[in-house]
Amino acid sequence: MSIQQQTLANGLTIIGEPKSSAQSMAAGYFVRTGARDESPEVSGVSHFLEHMMFKGTARRSPEDVNREFDEMGAHYNAFTSEENTVYYGAVLPEFQGRLLDLLSDMMRPSLRDEDFNVEKKVILEEIALYQDRPQFTAVDLARHIHYDETPLGFSILGTTRSVGALERDQMRRYFDRRYVPGNMTLTLTGRYDWDAAVPQVDAACAAWGSAAAGRDHPSLHPRSRTHIVTDRRLNRAHLAFAAPGLSAQDPRHRAAGVLAEIIGGSRGSRLYWALIEPGLADTAQLFHDEGDGAGWFGAYLSCDPADAEEVRSRFVKVLEEASHDGIRPDEVSRVTRKIAAGHVIGGETPMGRLTSVGFDWVYRGVVESVDEEADALLAVSAADCGAILDERPFTHLTMVVLGPVGASLEPAGVDKADGTDGAGV
Amino acid sequence: MAGTTIRTYQLKNGLSLVSEAIPEARAAAFQLMTPAGALTEPAETAGGSSVLENICYRGAGSRDARQISDALDELGIQRGGGADLETTTFAGALLADDLDEALSIYADVVRRPTIPPDQLEGARQLALQRLESIKDNPTQQLFIELSRIYFPGPHGRSPLGSRQGIEAITVQSLREDHRRRYVPDGSILGVAGRFDWDRLIETTERLFGDWEGASPPAPAPDSSGREHYKHIQEQSAQEQIGLAWPEVTAEHPDFYASRVAIQVLSGGMGARLFTEVREKRGLVYSVAAFPRTVRGEGLALAYAGTTPERRQECLDVLIGELRRLPEGITEEELARARTGLLSSQVMQGESCSARAAAITRDQFTLGRIRPLDEVRAGIEQVTTDSVHAHLQRFPPADFTIVTLGPEPVEVKQV
Repeated sequence: MSIQQQTLANGLTIIGEPKSSAQSMAAGYFVRTGARDESPEVSGVSHFLEHMMFKGTARRSPEDVNREFDEMGAHYNAFTSEENTVYYGAVLPEFQGRLLDLLSDMMRPSLRDEDFNVEKKVILEEIALYQDRPQFTAVDLARHIHYDETPLGFSILGTTRSVGALERDQMRRYFDRRYVPGNMTLTLTGRYDWDAAVPQVDAACAAWGSAAAGRDHPSLHPRSRTHIVTDRRLNRAHLAFAAPGLSAQDPRHRAAGVLAEIIGGSRGSRLYWALIEPGLADTAQLFHDEGDGAGWFGAYLSCDPADAEEVRSRFVKVLEEASHDGIRPDEVSRVTRKIAAGHVIGGETPMGRLTSVGFDWVYRGVVESVDEEADALLAVSAADCGAILDERPFTHLTMVVLGPVGASLEPAGVDKADGTDGAGV
Repeated sequence: MAGTTIRTYQLKNGLSLVSEAIPEARAAAFQLMTPAGALTEPAETAGGSSVLENICYRGAGSRDARQISDALDELGIQRGGGADLETTTFAGALLADDLDEALSIYADVVRRPTIPPDQLEGARQLALQRLESIKDNPTQQLFIELSRIYFPGPHGRSPLGSRQGIEAITVQSLREDHRRRYVPDGSILGVAGRFDWDRLIETTERLFGDWEGASPPAPAPDSSGREHYKHIQEQSAQEQIGLAWPEVTAEHPDFYASRVAIQVLSGGMGARLFTEVREKRGLVYSVAAFPRTVRGEGLALAYAGTTPERRQECLDVLIGELRRLPEGITEEELARARTGLLSSQVMQGESCSARAAAITRDQFTLGRIRPLDEVRAGIEQVTTDSVHAHLQRFPPADFTIVTLGPEPVEVKQV
């Protein structure tokens, strides 16, 4: 199961991980662009553009795009993150040629005015939808404050105001700058035909030019801050935290993921025993999000508003104990087995492998097979986790609380003097 | 799917072992399903099924909570399951070699929970917290309410229970409930992926052969006398709209025609609801219709979320599409719907967890597993005429509607 890779003359890379025993194949265009590549006045354009990419091309109407996916019985969608936009579909192998034709054509969209205006309403609905999900709002706000006005903290969705004011020509300029072949990777997994795919895609993208796109890496100066939003319409206290983490390129990125799972995985983690088992919180999770050149630890907890201070204090205590006393080898061994098995199970389907393979390449320029990934995980040691903790990542802790709570919670980080602010809704 | 093998084995005590061997799989997934859902829990301890499931992991056999959790993690088990309306499921997926050991831990968890008195408060508080969290999750709240008014009887229960019910739970009530409802009769062990069939039978007999007990009868679903509209007042950014209406069950001869009809409504971005409600009018981010089956009754559900000022237009367009469906579907729509359903079957066959869930669910609702060839043939035999005939017999109508948001809607045509 070796990796296939070819970079076309215009700079587009095609990467593939074949699996001959699969029943389907998956394909996805990975564009190295997202909220962090926006300027504040076009906040939300990456995500809005992702929707517009389904709205037709010189050869296809918006209805054609959706209908053709459905004609193939494809499982398909797209998503936008802080730094990637991905368009993907999974089909039975007989539809490979049609799927690649459609996805490749979509990468050069018409961006018509009338479609732009209708889709803007859909985006505004999506923003409203997330306004009703405090767990999402809290984590997003923690990330935003943690990244301190730099583009790394920009919102993926944008705001009602920024999206409302966005014009089609601004989107077109953003597209021209970011959707260049050198900034895009086509990933194939499952039972695909490499020899048919490469010439087809080469011909399809011949007219795309050959530009490359860069990206800014702002310098970061993390500090602790607390932001409390009193919202009496909410029933629960929603606590979110952010702290500096490791980049996807950092050789220790895997250990950071293991560390986060030990401290705050959904079951059997230290936070689980401290907060879920006694029934003090119904969610208490820590995760590590490795990004391009920078990463962060994030946490989300949900509890009764009356218990918010107790939950905050136990959460901080769990982090402090880990920072001072380190991680035990038996914890590492359990968690690495659990994550490795998860990779194997998740990697059963071509669709399940697609993002692992694609992001491996986008971030690190190498693709690890499921087995290599599992071996590397099992090699992570307690010392590796300890080395990350020795840098005291949780000293700089941003805390956001949403809910029917007063502004009386204790700040979270060690350098607490950085300031507390509050806002009412 | 090419090459998969479905086999079943009946234990004398009523437990059914169902399996699907998937060649090339490196994993095995299992579902141990007991018929102990909210449906059959005592009304005075509503939420007891969820609390019982939770407390089973807090001490079983010779292990305490931490030892159970650590043992499952040692095996790399991806845990799933939980208490639902009709069943409680203990599920996991793991690397195939460790299946026997995993099942032996789960045999303790399901058959021999110690239900430690000092763990009751934690389990109770967690259940209360989960109940409270629903109020900050409008979509989940909408569907709980929709089920509740669609089925005025026990089928309308939420597995999350009620505050009063959860507070009434005692160690004694949990032990009694466990004795009464965690029984082999009517339980199913479903396994999919890589395993040795003879050894799996042997393991199952060894772990579960001496399990005893008859399952209490489950009430039949009854949606007669249901309410037709309810509004929940919330100062939310979006108005949540949910509809439910009667559909056929999986045993009905119209079953595949009904699935094609729902696929035409909501099977992809080119399907009718997405096209009319979102693509043409920009009324929503999310709109969908999907089937739901309880044993003995079928229904279909539709969902849309929109900003409050557009709630009436959104509902009207949505209902308009549902009512237009019996006018018939085109050959092109039929072809897309069939391809979509067939393709989903094939792709589901690539995931051990998805197959374990599907065969276990089949066994529960139908008492047998539909071989994939049968499903494929069923889908392929659907014609525009058979869909039309089905929709004449069972037109989407007689809707039960719930809205959640700042303002109610005007419900016409009911």
